[in-house]
Amino acid sequence: MSSPERKLRLTDIINVNIWDVDSKPHIIVNYEKCKNCPTKACVRLCPTGCYTETENGILFSYEGCVECGTCRVVCPMEAITWTYPKSGKGIFYRFS
Amino acid sequence: MEEMNILDQKFDVAVVGAGPAGLAAAYYLAKKGFKTVVLERGREIGSKSIYGGRIYAAPLKEIYPNFNSMPVHRWVKKERISIMPDYESMISIDYQGKDAISFTAYLTEVVKWMGIQAETAGATIITDVPVTNFYRENNKVAGVVSGEDVLRSDVVVDAEGVNRLVLEASGIVKPLKPELVALGVKEVLKGDSKQIEDAFGLSQDEGLAWVFLGAATANVPGGAFLYTNRDSVSLGVVVLLDKAIVNLKDHISQLVESLRTAPALKNYLKNLRISEYSAHLIPEDVWSLRPERLVYDGLLITGDAAGLLLNAGYTYRGVDFAAYSGYLAGKAIESAHAQGDYGAGALSSYEKMLKDSIVIKELNRFRKVHEIMKNNLLFEKYPKIMSGVMKRMFENSDGPSKAWDAINESCKENQYSMLKLLINGYKIVRAL
Repeated sequence: MSSPERKLRLTDIINVNIWDVDSKPHIIVNYEKCKNCPTKACVRLCPTGCYTETENGILFSYEGCVECGTCRVVCPMEAITWTYPKSGKGIFYRFS
Repeated sequence: MEEMNILDQKFDVAVVGAGPAGLAAAYYLAKKGFKTVVLERGREIGSKSIYGGRIYAAPLKEIYPNFNSMPVHRWVKKERISIMPDYESMISIDYQGKDAISFTAYLTEVVKWMGIQAETAGATIITDVPVTNFYRENNKVAGVVSGEDVLRSDVVVDAEGVNRLVLEASGIVKPLKPELVALGVKEVLKGDSKQIEDAFGLSQDEGLAWVFLGAATANVPGGAFLYTNRDSVSLGVVVLLDKAIVNLKDHISQLVESLRTAPALKNYLKNLRISEYSAHLIPEDVWSLRPERLVYDGLLITGDAAGLLLNAGYTYRGVDFAAYSGYLAGKAIESAHAQGDYGAGALSSYEKMLKDSIVIKELNRFRKVHEIMKNNLLFEKYPKIMSGVMKRMFENSDGPSKAWDAINESCKENQYSMLKLLINGYKIVRAL
């Protein structure tokens, strides 16, 4: 991960972070609401790419979440129920 | 309502969040003999803390007599502002001062240090506990709720940060809107201290704060930053969220990666490796974001949750303002206690002290910056005009153009009135 000349894939970048992933998701997405979303802004703006667009609509995975709150703010459909992970779970920053 | 489990132990003060605001409040109050508890959702203090990368020292020096043990990485002696018309070129202004007033550090380390100060003063800090609501008795805030557990206290300091889940649950604020906040995304790039000093022309303990405008945010209003830490670089991008929803075409992480791999920066970032990737929301329209009041019966609101963060255009001031607001909240609680009353009236000295402090004074002084930042021209048109001017002056094979002619021609090329450019330039300088 040392070459500054080429861009890295997001999955390789976020691999440097430390998480203690909760067994239950702390964010719940109502995919039904996503179907009519005019912006799908979460796909571009979730910094760790937790939201992806597939043939079957939006797909969300909470494992890489850094708990920034962006998805909840940019969602125009109020499709996201957002809380913090329970008891110390989730992202563990060391150098930020 | 679910069954509540009211804990026997009661505190004088409960603080929500072990960030800069909450820990400064806890430190002051514990020192004054208040039985103080801080509830933190992270596993350790600092494990959820992230910011851009530099802290202004003066407010922290006022709060902490032993400031000299603060885990400072480098004192910022060099400032650089660069306009990037594209990733290959930039126009930069450099400033090198004698006295440094800000320093770089990892916020994770800074809040750990602040936690030690608070604990040494006698505060209790409990981690792994996310506060979910306030506990009320007779319509007054009288403690905090975490799941089914209730911890009672005479007064509560809300220092929960920008995502105000507790204030929302209690009905004090509404959920954030995109136009109120910016999104910051950051990579920490590690090397060794000599590498950093050689690449950026720094001596030991000296730091650089570098701001980029233009291509660095794909012309979305915002900016990018680079701070030198002891043996690493913090490289990040900030975009206004409402503008990013409309104007950002790629994934947000691509902005940081494009900057990290920019030809214009390649000599600075050689052989550094990514060691952390982080993101955070930043209060932007702080006047609309601020809760109607910062004191309620039994409650004071501090730091990012109160919108007490300054965007000065070329820099943010969040950590020191948050800490200072926590410190003033502590003072207000002390004076309310002397009156034997924790009602909103008795606590309102917090709002008065804030108004007279550097925090609100600076926020008011920079109020116009926010209006200018929202102007897309600043991020799209102006870098192009400036680049056109520079190209005419420095890359003209027939010899350099006169500056005035170069500006005139570049304005024409970009279909922009030179008079408008001068007027807006004047406005920007006035606002800063």
